[in-house]
Amino acid sequence: MSTSLTSRRAFLGGSLLFVGGIALAACGKDDAVKAGAKVTLEQWYHAYGEAGTQQAVIRYAKEYTKANPDVAIKVNWIAGDYSAKLHSTLLTPQAPDLFEIGDFQYVDVKNGLLAPLDDIIKGQEAEYSKASLDSATADGKLYGLKMMDDAMVLYYRKSVLEKAGIAVPQTFADLAAAAKRLTSREQKGLFVGSDGIGNAAYLLLWSGGGDLLDPEGRKVVFNSPEGVAAISGLKQLHDDKSLLLDFTTDWYDPGAFVQGAAAMQWCGLWAMPAIKKALGDDFGVIAWPKFGDTGQAVSRIGGWFAAVNAKSKHAEEAKKFIEWLWIKQADLQKDWCVSYGFHVPSRKSVAARTTEFGSGPAKDAADVLANTGRAYPNLWNTTMDSAFAQAVLKIAKSGGDARSLLDEAAAKAQAELDKQLA
Amino acid sequence: MSDTATTGQTAAAARPAGVRPGRRGRPTDWRAVGAFAVLTAPTVLGLGLFKYVAIGWSFLLSFSEARGTVDLGSWVGFDNYTFLLGDEAFRSSMTGVILFTIFIVPVTFGISLGLAVLLHGMRRGRAFFRTGFLIPAAVSYVVAALIWKMSLFNGLPSGVANTIGGLFGWDVQSWIASTDPPLYWIVIITVRLWLQVGLYMILFLAGLQAIPVHLYEAAALDGASRWARFRHITLPMLRNTSVAILMLILIAAFQAFDEFYNVFMTTTGNSTAPVRPPLVFLYDTALKGQDYGVGSAGAFLLTLLIVLVTLLQGRLVGFGRKD
Repeated sequence: MSTSLTSRRAFLGGSLLFVGGIALAACGKDDAVKAGAKVTLEQWYHAYGEAGTQQAVIRYAKEYTKANPDVAIKVNWIAGDYSAKLHSTLLTPQAPDLFEIGDFQYVDVKNGLLAPLDDIIKGQEAEYSKASLDSATADGKLYGLKMMDDAMVLYYRKSVLEKAGIAVPQTFADLAAAAKRLTSREQKGLFVGSDGIGNAAYLLLWSGGGDLLDPEGRKVVFNSPEGVAAISGLKQLHDDKSLLLDFTTDWYDPGAFVQGAAAMQWCGLWAMPAIKKALGDDFGVIAWPKFGDTGQAVSRIGGWFAAVNAKSKHAEEAKKFIEWLWIKQADLQKDWCVSYGFHVPSRKSVAARTTEFGSGPAKDAADVLANTGRAYPNLWNTTMDSAFAQAVLKIAKSGGDARSLLDEAAAKAQAELDKQLA
Repeated sequence: MSDTATTGQTAAAARPAGVRPGRRGRPTDWRAVGAFAVLTAPTVLGLGLFKYVAIGWSFLLSFSEARGTVDLGSWVGFDNYTFLLGDEAFRSSMTGVILFTIFIVPVTFGISLGLAVLLHGMRRGRAFFRTGFLIPAAVSYVVAALIWKMSLFNGLPSGVANTIGGLFGWDVQSWIASTDPPLYWIVIITVRLWLQVGLYMILFLAGLQAIPVHLYEAAALDGASRWARFRHITLPMLRNTSVAILMLILIAAFQAFDEFYNVFMTTTGNSTAPVRPPLVFLYDTALKGQDYGVGSAGAFLLTLLIVLVTLLQGRLVGFGRKD
């Protein structure tokens, strides 16, 4: 009995020592990081898929520390649902000092999460596209610095269209007809997403001359007559059975296009290197064609913004760092955009120096983006997206009445908008 | 959300912590009391801090306007609750999960019991089949949902389901994206059965093994048929096991999340999902939409529903009633 008690005690004591040791070791490690620098900034990135990206941002951070020995930057690579993780962490003391944001949301500004960046962008406005500045501007102040632009465009297979004697679609009617003609058992005409919706409803809305919100951002207007007509176009694609559905990867991945499962696909510029590798020159890119005669061709502009935590004790240091990296270091911006994945540099002067966009489909895509790129307004949030998407789902797949479904969704989105603005 | 997900287990776990009665008269053994305190304190404190404080906080949040914040302060009374009850999306999410439960509970129960009885009657290979049926229970829901989505039920002619369908001359189907007819239920239900049946089968097997063999022998001597033996010996003797399993299946059905979330997931989350059970809806609301007030209110409405149904079930089949 007594021996087992001692050994139990020994075990307990040992465990305590072990835990204590780990705690000490953790503290020690922290100190080691800080040893050289007075300030350590915590920075968050979502986990980019392209190989080498994580090493690249760590290298940028080290270069900054070399130039500014007082500031060290700890890069955190966040896998999984980045936005949800970021927003829940921002409510805690463990919040990062600086981070990136994909879809800019007004509520973040309203809740005082983001530090204004007007002083570092001053005099640089002309370098950025209007869409990028608008997205990150709220109540007259800028809260995010665009790191790179992602273009989302329509890819088509040249040889497949030629073989069928189909011209590159100029209108939605052309696109729907082409998609139908190109559909067989082994290949579908068009891939917009595994769910058969993807971005298509937004693209149709914009291409028909409609919009999500009015220009002042006070009223939800996607249920305008143009909007209703254009969004109903998605039902036609479903009825024709010309959409590829339930593919193993979603629209952001070029899999369906390069494997020949679809003749045309809505996808991002980021996929172009992979497509080029698989198909050579046998592809082209265009904007999503205009809906009807009054519409306009559209594409989507995405990408990521660098932002600073307003509550950070080191907000000033963080601002200096993003100014250094995303405004001053043209070479690093170029490296970031084209050495790993394929993005358009967000600064015009850097984009002009980037030879990769000088010719071929890459140039086409950059032009399409510059001429037709649209971004979601920052007042557009997931609750509104949800209301909109559920209406689209019923219109496109279950044959629901477009007018009344979109009216209902607009009323719901309007209530949400009013709450945001309250 | 995890609050509601574990409330049931918490209540069950907290109960055995009470000290056994009937030790009066003896002098208090302070060493034992100390040991008891040392051994249980971490769990009690952990439960208190990470469960009950969180649940309480969430309850308070459900009466606040909490967008992008978990701070209390801007009280709105029952606004979050009335908003949800008036919201068509939330209501259809609740009715959806009720219909799903009404279907999945008896099916899961029946198949698990059936497999257990079959396995129990086997002379050879019982261990092999038992292991075989149990292995899926160890597979992650996320992994299984992705295998179902990307490999078995993808929309390509080469997908497993479409290949099999092709043998019978069926058209290529999009199993998840098509809503008319709602083929996605086949995907959701088969993956859930595959994952869950094995575990409940094991519980039933344990129950079956506890039934004394002499009851069957006596019945056989009396000339009872197989069905009569099952109906009058197996089923009544399994009552306690059955009631417990029924409750587990029921709660698991109301808390359905992983397979729905992953099967319908797109780049924009679950906004285009044809069906969103309450937990998916609440995940979207609280964590994606950053509306913690409405999210908490929804969690409590779901908890209320689970409690009511469990109590009702207890009434009907007599959970905890003495034999």
